Amino acid sequence: MKHLPKHIRPRWRYLAVGIESTPKAEISRGDFQRELWYAAGNLLGDPGSADCDLTVYDFAFEHGFGETIVRVRRGETDAARAAVACINSVGEEPVGVFVRGISGTVRACEERYLGRRDRDFDQRHVEFADAQRPAFLHEDLAAISLPTGVVSATDIDFE
Amino acid sequence: MYEAVSAYPDGDSTVSRQARTAAHYGYDGVVVRSRTADYDPDETAERYGIDIVNGIEVRADNPQSAAGSVGNFRTECTVLLVRGGTDELNRYAVETDRVDVLTRPMADGGDVNHVLARAAKTHGVHIEFDFGAVLGHSGGKRVQALKNLRKLRELVEYYDTPYVVSANAASHFQLRAPRELCALGQQVGFSAEQIRTGLDAWSHIVAKNRGLADESFVAPGVKRGRYSGSEEHK
Repeated sequence: MKHLPKHIRPRWRYLAVGIESTPKAEISRGDFQRELWYAAGNLLGDPGSADCDLTVYDFAFEHGFGETIVRVRRGETDAARAAVACINSVGEEPVGVFVRGISGTVRACEERYLGRRDRDFDQRHVEFADAQRPAFLHEDLAAISLPTGVVSATDIDFE
Repeated sequence: MYEAVSAYPDGDSTVSRQARTAAHYGYDGVVVRSRTADYDPDETAERYGIDIVNGIEVRADNPQSAAGSVGNFRTECTVLLVRGGTDELNRYAVETDRVDVLTRPMADGGDVNHVLARAAKTHGVHIEFDFGAVLGHSGGKRVQALKNLRKLRELVEYYDTPYVVSANAASHFQLRAPRELCALGQQVGFSAEQIRTGLDAWSHIVAKNRGLADESFVAPGVKRGRYSGSEEHK
């Protein structure tokens, strides 16, 4: 079909979203998109979700940290922000999300808010809760395995 | 703006990790609800540039045991919270001057009515709007949580009851930035200003209680020491 004339095309805003999860989590773009649609559908309803027209672009996730761009219709950014905030897990993994900023173009969004970094995790034992525990470490962050589950900590807690 | 969080062993993240995330999200401070959490507030505060406030959330089955805990812990912490959830506990908390915040008043079948809303104002007890259930659930549970938030909001607005807002995060994954909470609040009937007021209220409670605990404090408006000619006295 022929393109719409420029003045009548929808206007978009692009949300830069930071994602954090456990070091072992494996989250794909499709998983995140599905959770985002569920979150929007549940919070905003079908009409609100359709108005936002949320689409995930440029998804990257590795070693528990990720970032993505979420496209939303102009004027619906508050609703989109609320929908993004309601994503609390992807699959079985808990997820923390944070909107770093909003731009009018994908390029501005990437340049301003996204900084691709290699995040190498180190694995070793650390002293925590009166015992040596296996942990994933990255910079000052740590995910420590306990019999009851994984505890997120920083190096302040075991040095 | 401050946020109140649970930390290991009550939650899945330590105080320092919660503080790091809260600082990244733009909060000025965190109130730690967990009494058993082991942390160094000064080192964490210095490293991440965020105020760490020692709080205790009293969890009791009935007003009698809550009263014992309030007496024991009031002097040990800066912010004293009482977890509600039954009508008796809610009533005890809002009628006790020494309590700062009544948390989760509508959880587990608890309720708040006009009598409690008025009593909370009279005794200066803040009632918590718990966004944890709205962020963490969907379907029927969220509908219940939203229904309760609405009822509480209408009472708080009408009786001008002091309130606080929190996402009630037990791990740093559950923490949300102030702008996200404002956006969510707007979707569920609050104004952004109300959410900001609720987050700011934590810092007002902290400032008030630190003032009361200060050595120079004699009585409200009276301090020991030389007159400093500060703005409030001009």
